[in-house]
Amino acid sequence: MVSSEVTRDLRFGVDTGGTFTDLVIEGLPEGLRFFKQPTTPDDPIRGLLDVVGFAAGKLGTDSAALLARCASFVHGTTRATNAIVEGATARTAFITTEGHRDILLIREGGGRGTPLDYTQHYPDPYIPRALSFEVPERIYADGSVARPLDEAAVLRVIEEIKAAEVEAVAVCLLWSIVNSAHELRIGELLAQHLPGVAFTLSHQLNPTMREYRRASSTAIDASLKPLMSRYIQGLDRRLRDAGFGGRLLILTSSGGVLDAAEVWDTPIHTIGSGPAAAPVAGRHYAALDAKSGNAIVTDAGGTTYDVGLIKNGVIPWTRETTVDRAGQLHMTGFPSVDVRSIGSGGGSIGWVDKGGMLHVGPQSAGASPGPACWGRGGERATVTDACVTLGYIDPDYFLGGAMSLYPDLARSVIDKDVGSPLGLPLDEAADAIFLLACERMVTAIEDLTLNQGIDARDAVMIGGGGGAGLYSFAIARRLGVSRVIIPEVSAALSAAGALLSDLTRDFSSTAVLSTRDFDFALAHRVIADLNQRCQAFIDGAGQGTVEQEILYSVEARYANQVWEIDVPLLSQSFDGADWVKAFKASFDKAHDDLFAVSDPDSDVEIISWHAKVRCSLPRRPFQSGTGSGPVRAARTRSAYFTGFGRVQADVRAYESVAVGETVAGPVIVESPITTVVVPPDGTLTRLPTGSLVVELTLSTPSTH
Amino acid sequence: MTTSNAIDRSRSTEFDGLRLALLNNRMEGVVNAMMNTLQRTARSAIMNMARDFSCGILTADDDLLTVAESLPCHTFRGPDLQARYMKEWHTLRKGDAFIANSPYHGNSHAADWCILMPVIDDAGVHHFTVFAKAHVADCGNSIPTTFYATAKDVYQEGALIFPCQKIQSGYEIDGDFVRQCKLRLRVPDMWYGDFLAILGAARIGERRLLELASEVGGDQLKAFGKAWFDYSEEKMADAIRQLPSGTRKVTLMHDPIPGAPDGVPVSAEVSVDNEAGKIVIDLTDNLDCKPFGMNLTESTATSNTMAGVFSSLDQQVPPNAGSFRRLDIRLRENCMIGIPRHPFSCSAATTNLAETVGKVVTVALAQLGDGFGMAEIGKCLPPAMAVISGTDPRPGKGPFVNFLSLLVTNGAGAPRADGWLTVIGVGVAGLQMHDSVEVDEMKYPIEIRAQRIIQDSEGAGRQRGAPGALVEYGPIGTDLEIIYTSDGTHNAPKGVQGGLDGACARQVRKRADGSEEELPNVAQLTLRPGETIVSMCTGGGGYGRPEMRDVQLVAKDVSEGLVSVERARAIYKVDVDATGKVDVESTRSLRTVAA
Repeated sequence: MVSSEVTRDLRFGVDTGGTFTDLVIEGLPEGLRFFKQPTTPDDPIRGLLDVVGFAAGKLGTDSAALLARCASFVHGTTRATNAIVEGATARTAFITTEGHRDILLIREGGGRGTPLDYTQHYPDPYIPRALSFEVPERIYADGSVARPLDEAAVLRVIEEIKAAEVEAVAVCLLWSIVNSAHELRIGELLAQHLPGVAFTLSHQLNPTMREYRRASSTAIDASLKPLMSRYIQGLDRRLRDAGFGGRLLILTSSGGVLDAAEVWDTPIHTIGSGPAAAPVAGRHYAALDAKSGNAIVTDAGGTTYDVGLIKNGVIPWTRETTVDRAGQLHMTGFPSVDVRSIGSGGGSIGWVDKGGMLHVGPQSAGASPGPACWGRGGERATVTDACVTLGYIDPDYFLGGAMSLYPDLARSVIDKDVGSPLGLPLDEAADAIFLLACERMVTAIEDLTLNQGIDARDAVMIGGGGGAGLYSFAIARRLGVSRVIIPEVSAALSAAGALLSDLTRDFSSTAVLSTRDFDFALAHRVIADLNQRCQAFIDGAGQGTVEQEILYSVEARYANQVWEIDVPLLSQSFDGADWVKAFKASFDKAHDDLFAVSDPDSDVEIISWHAKVRCSLPRRPFQSGTGSGPVRAARTRSAYFTGFGRVQADVRAYESVAVGETVAGPVIVESPITTVVVPPDGTLTRLPTGSLVVELTLSTPSTH
Repeated sequence: MTTSNAIDRSRSTEFDGLRLALLNNRMEGVVNAMMNTLQRTARSAIMNMARDFSCGILTADDDLLTVAESLPCHTFRGPDLQARYMKEWHTLRKGDAFIANSPYHGNSHAADWCILMPVIDDAGVHHFTVFAKAHVADCGNSIPTTFYATAKDVYQEGALIFPCQKIQSGYEIDGDFVRQCKLRLRVPDMWYGDFLAILGAARIGERRLLELASEVGGDQLKAFGKAWFDYSEEKMADAIRQLPSGTRKVTLMHDPIPGAPDGVPVSAEVSVDNEAGKIVIDLTDNLDCKPFGMNLTESTATSNTMAGVFSSLDQQVPPNAGSFRRLDIRLRENCMIGIPRHPFSCSAATTNLAETVGKVVTVALAQLGDGFGMAEIGKCLPPAMAVISGTDPRPGKGPFVNFLSLLVTNGAGAPRADGWLTVIGVGVAGLQMHDSVEVDEMKYPIEIRAQRIIQDSEGAGRQRGAPGALVEYGPIGTDLEIIYTSDGTHNAPKGVQGGLDGACARQVRKRADGSEEELPNVAQLTLRPGETIVSMCTGGGGYGRPEMRDVQLVAKDVSEGLVSVERARAIYKVDVDATGKVDVESTRSLRTVAA
């Protein structure tokens, strides 16, 4: 192999998003570099190779030579998410316990966003009833077999599945998490009688209690297997054909990476993996630039606004992530980084209802016709139109001047749709749209901080995505956050997160233990089993990593509660009453942190046990990159700010702000990919890491 | 009092359409924070799994301001009445909290515990009252159920009743109250956890509103309330203007119950005046209170009637004291569907007859014209939602009691959508969750053998009702006491505008030897190990003629096994095979004949 001659000194992070494929390269002498090319939905791998070729061109080399230098290629993809939205997943069958065929149809109940609206349609099950089958068997909560598995019936079901020309099978039996014998046997029979048909067993994929969530993740995973194994194998092959000889790693929904081969076996890991990497980058910059372990990480793309959190240096996770299939939402039930997405990009439309109340969205002008100021026939007042009118976006420098905007069109629709109905002058009308759009983003953030028991005022905000710098100051102020950090790689936050992600696997086990009569021997056995699985991962995938760590936690609750909370297991000694006391104290504290109440007199029940094994990949500190291209001269522009009215704002090129320089607001910092707006009562500083920091004066003093 | 001038001023300058939207968002955020706290900290399954609770904000003048996604039957009318008693009987101070659950003083029924908390700042200004209201697993009744349908009066019912009692002063819980409750409520530790959860939720609301008041100013919040009511009233008037004017009197029958062997008629006269943008609903022509536990309360008679109206509108209107101004609901004293007289029992006032009155309204509005109202939502509460109790023989466990919330479907056909599968009732509006089989089996010594849809049980229609559901469960290694009061075994949910009725309910005891016993719609029974109960809930009524239903939707129902090939042909006039393949020609001729 010729490539063995080449030093593999580079690491690539590639995030294939809905609109753009982002590439971040680390290891070049000039520091971190990042590149963007359009995504090619018909064949996303082509777009990915395109951006590598584009980067090679910019770096004065060719794709093969550049790829040959790549030691690890970390990839995040929306492929699985898109396949589900488009209904392009495999024809999948569902096998479950007799009597419970309708698990996927009946869900958990509830789910009515607007309770009194009877125009809503009930969602279809993820796998149709016609392909859902029951097998006689029953295991009880204690793992005992109430009725043995009827293997003849399983074989009959397999014949029906065969006749139905199914490409994948999901198996989820009640209580397989405490006794997996029946699921395993069905797996053997499937392997034997349906060779070549992919299947997923629920206890192996997602050993969690609550049959709907486990069944849903199993169904989603199975339905993705044929497609995602083709995709990832195809990617691996085409990268190697193009000259790549390093390690292909795939981002996961838990904010880590796994080897490609492991992911094509459990493709559910890739759902939402791109957005999940943004908080990983956010955590890095919060620690680096603000020495903070608490952060709100926002990623403002063209059509969505994603929010994630960092709490005490940890990225919170949830099982309640949903995927959209043709407009209907399905809960994945699978542990993943808690990222909320709201459709509130620049295209959201502002309008006034008959009663005189302003709304922003949910309608969007999208990419076509787009905002009125694009001059492509848009006739509704969008958030982008408001930003142009307020002077935040330079109509002559949109996307670095690649596209001309028509501010007159923006002004006229805002006046017509919002100004006149509300009786507001133009600037105030534009500001109203802007503020309400920000309020919607604040709602998404508060949903998240509320669920995780975080006070936003104790956090910094990390702004990512092209729109981050436009809205951040207003959102931060509303939340009582005084500091916003816009990292140098903000426009490619997920791709940067990819380079900061570690090899991570979660293992879990269900074993119910109460602090009332704690079974120390069982606890030791559970931990020993988890430890063994983690060690096997370290010895396998973890080869060549620089540092390994296993973090244990439990999902626990007070006796009789139904929803568990996640509590780190600081000690695994399980050596008597003192351990129980210490554990209870840590649970009480966690409960109090989340809900502002605790009940120290109550017993605590542990339901499931988790081990997160993390193997750190070799990496160097990010080095700030130098800018490229000519720097625009400093100018001024009229801009409107709530409470200040029209002011002349300085306009600076991103590159022109020197490291260590502090600029007083009002100032607008522009680059071809992002715009950072600083209000009159704020300041902006460039740090040695390349990040910009916006400091805000809060009108309401923080109560903390 | 406000002058019209002040209203105008608040509309045009103090409250523009932006601030209205922003502050409404903040208010909903407060209620969401309360709901979140309650759901995640409560102990009993009925609260934290089934989500049978509500939170909201009242103005200092006791008008309902914000409820977010709370249950209509808990909130539309009730907390406002209770807050009036709070003010009448007590001098309010910062840090106070009150428990109110009296059916004679504005509550829904005795098992819904409402904690009211005045939001008072350091200067002593009362800005709002927040409330958190939840269905407790046990309320001290003389038998282990929170729906005691046959109780002849409040004494036999036996619930602890608090007209409006202070339980916290200066943020300190009254220990006497807690000690009393721990002696009178089953499974006291679980109760105490639930109590802390309800209290905690209200406290979160109080804390956040105080922050908001200091941020934007109390006067602004007060002005917001006024503007929000005006806005909501106008939305309501506008929605009513879309309805046809007219008057319909509708009577629906509830199944026989002890004390009413021929069933219970529930009537309402609904008059829409679209020019005035007003609806009058007269409930006075109903029976007097009876010596059983089914009498409604002022809260549930009104709230469910309102829920029926809101469910029937063509556009979304925020439910609050402003939009309520457009509804004139007429009640009378000592009326089963009205204002109860002490000591008649209202133990089951949130479910059976309350549901019926809400459905009377949707059916009456549907009779005014195609495109309005809704068919009859299915009936409650089948044994899938029974109160179960017993003693868990597993190590470390003991006595238990809880309101099960297994699968109940019931959704009715509406002008533009099929019945929402898991709607359960008008008053819960599909917000209530059902239990996880695995969670229930871990918590209680029971096996849930089946939980599945019943084919051909839907009320056929252009928009069909939801099919009914079968749930089968029984005890493991112990006896299980089951108490339920259901409807729909004798009276099917009605279709409207040519839609057909949904299937009736049934309940069956399966003995260990395989024999079956048909059970009445009201029962208290004990299952032995090896026995199970099978609960079959109703299907929702259909909307519009079934032969007008979209052929492809019929085909999908058939391929999905919800509707049989035979029924598709006989009722929907669609010739389709079991895989959903339609014979277009044959269907055309079937439908031509039908037309």
